[in-house]
Amino acid sequence: MSIISANNIKKTYDPDKIAVHALRGIDLEIKQGEFTAIVGPSGSGKTTLLNIIGGLDRPTEGIIKIADTDISTLSDNELIDFRKDNIGFVFQAYNLIPVLTAKENVEFVMVLQKRSKEERDQRTKELLEAVGLSDKTNKTPSELSGGQQQRVAVARALASKPRFILADEPTANLDSESTAGLLDMMAELNQEEGVTFVFSTHDQRVIDRARRIVTLVDGKIESDETR
Amino acid sequence: MMLPKIAWRNIWRSRIRSFVVIGAVFLGVWAFICMMAITFSVSLGYVDDAIRFQTSHLQLHHPDFGDDKASEFMLDQDIYNQIKGNKNIIGITERTIVTGMVRSSRGARGIIIKGVDPQTETTVSEISESLLEGKFFTEEKKNEVIISKEIAEKLKLGLRKRLVLQFQDMNKEIVSASFRVAGIFKTGNNITDLSMLLVNRKDINRLLGAENAVHEIAILLDDPTADLLATQDKLKKEFPNTLIENYREISPEVQLYESQIYISVSILMFIFMLALIFGIINTMLMAVLERSRELGMLMAIGMNKLRVFGMIVLETIMLGTIGAPLGMAAGWLTVKFLNKRGLDFSEYSEGTEAFGIKSFLRPELDSEIYFILMVAVFVTALLASIYPALRAIKLRPIEAIRKI
Repeated sequence: MSIISANNIKKTYDPDKIAVHALRGIDLEIKQGEFTAIVGPSGSGKTTLLNIIGGLDRPTEGIIKIADTDISTLSDNELIDFRKDNIGFVFQAYNLIPVLTAKENVEFVMVLQKRSKEERDQRTKELLEAVGLSDKTNKTPSELSGGQQQRVAVARALASKPRFILADEPTANLDSESTAGLLDMMAELNQEEGVTFVFSTHDQRVIDRARRIVTLVDGKIESDETR
Repeated sequence: MMLPKIAWRNIWRSRIRSFVVIGAVFLGVWAFICMMAITFSVSLGYVDDAIRFQTSHLQLHHPDFGDDKASEFMLDQDIYNQIKGNKNIIGITERTIVTGMVRSSRGARGIIIKGVDPQTETTVSEISESLLEGKFFTEEKKNEVIISKEIAEKLKLGLRKRLVLQFQDMNKEIVSASFRVAGIFKTGNNITDLSMLLVNRKDINRLLGAENAVHEIAILLDDPTADLLATQDKLKKEFPNTLIENYREISPEVQLYESQIYISVSILMFIFMLALIFGIINTMLMAVLERSRELGMLMAIGMNKLRVFGMIVLETIMLGTIGAPLGMAAGWLTVKFLNKRGLDFSEYSEGTEAFGIKSFLRPELDSEIYFILMVAVFVTALLASIYPALRAIKLRPIEAIRKI
């Protein structure tokens, strides 16, 4: 069953002035448990596509459904709530909350979901163990390396038990060792726990690990290859 | 909940900037308290002096006595005896009031001659305690007069010197009599001091030709805040043909001073809040703009606009109000210190006393003002938070974080 269903997605910026067609009719289905990389040259529309899939931007045309919910019909506030419960985000620049510790960062979305203290504590502990940071729970982001921060970001993205995780060039700021560690961890989560990952990336190391590669060129899908 | 924790920690991310706001609130509150304490002591001191030396709390007159102070308009002699037992009255006295001239070998001036009963006058007025020289009348001597230092200087008079009082008696005949200066007082209010002198009521009544003349009954209350209007109303009902006025009605400038205190408090507080509001808005706007990426990320991962709004409001209120209790504590200590030590403006006493303002002040401030100030700072911070919070929720996650 598809958890992401994009049907003829078009996105045009500044349609009243000089129109820039970022997406020119994308049809894409992503199923539960996939480990998909969206690749393509700069300006090909991969970031725009991820923004639309993540409910951060709205298509100019087309329908985007996340598990049968047409998110293009949701209001801003409904979208925020929808993202909270359904989508996990991993940002290129980590984007952790700098004043909170690793544990508090992971716990944060669960606080927004009004989960009980016991549940939050239990899940935070499990997730930090899963990303290999159980000894760094009380460190703030500034006390962690880039790779460690990104691991916390993955743990945070998983905390809300989302349907899938969107990751924008998650390895762009990481060295080789951290990249390899992060990819191992995400692949393990995908294989063992069935977590669905959708990446946008330029990084060949990520592309090599992906099991499905969607290539965008000039706002259109040029190829869609499953390994 | 995690919001207060995040808001509190956010304040300390830019320590210098936060300390500037906290310091500004601290100094503003401190300065405001000190200034208010001094303003209050000046204004209330004036009111207090007027009550102690001039008006008392309540005065009774014949309805036609008025500004002319015509001698024939006297009070019924029974009134005094009927009122004096009243339990909320702590001081009461009868006076004979005559307008006339005081003359010395060096000059003359118009004056209000107050004939007082030396025993009961001290229960109402504190002139006897303001004597610089001499005594407040002696039992056995006749024709003694108590004058102010200002009159003594103007007429070149001293203790035991003679002066002449001239006024109309009950038959409208001009009477002159020689009096000896028994005491010289100074109330600290030149206007009061230059307007009157005191003689023994027996002497003036004898000269007037009306042994039992009473023109004025002055009353001092135990608790004027609670009893003033009630007692006035009660007396008005008991003595419908008598003019019964409270100190505000007797001396409108006292009322002006009292109301002026509250007007000046309000204006100062408004200016203070206005300055504070701009300072806080500026700081919080900078904080919001600097953190737009982070705020966008929070909205992206599921923090709704109400929570983002609440977080910024909370942060602003915390930032705005941290300095207030510290400023209040410092202000309280400063006022305590100034109250104990006193503020001496005697170098400028000629100027201050001409306006009825004491040259030595002991500043103090009601606890009520501290409470009002704390509420004002809180409201200011709350108002100041609205614009930055609105700016924060207008951020679109997509624009704030550029891309996911």
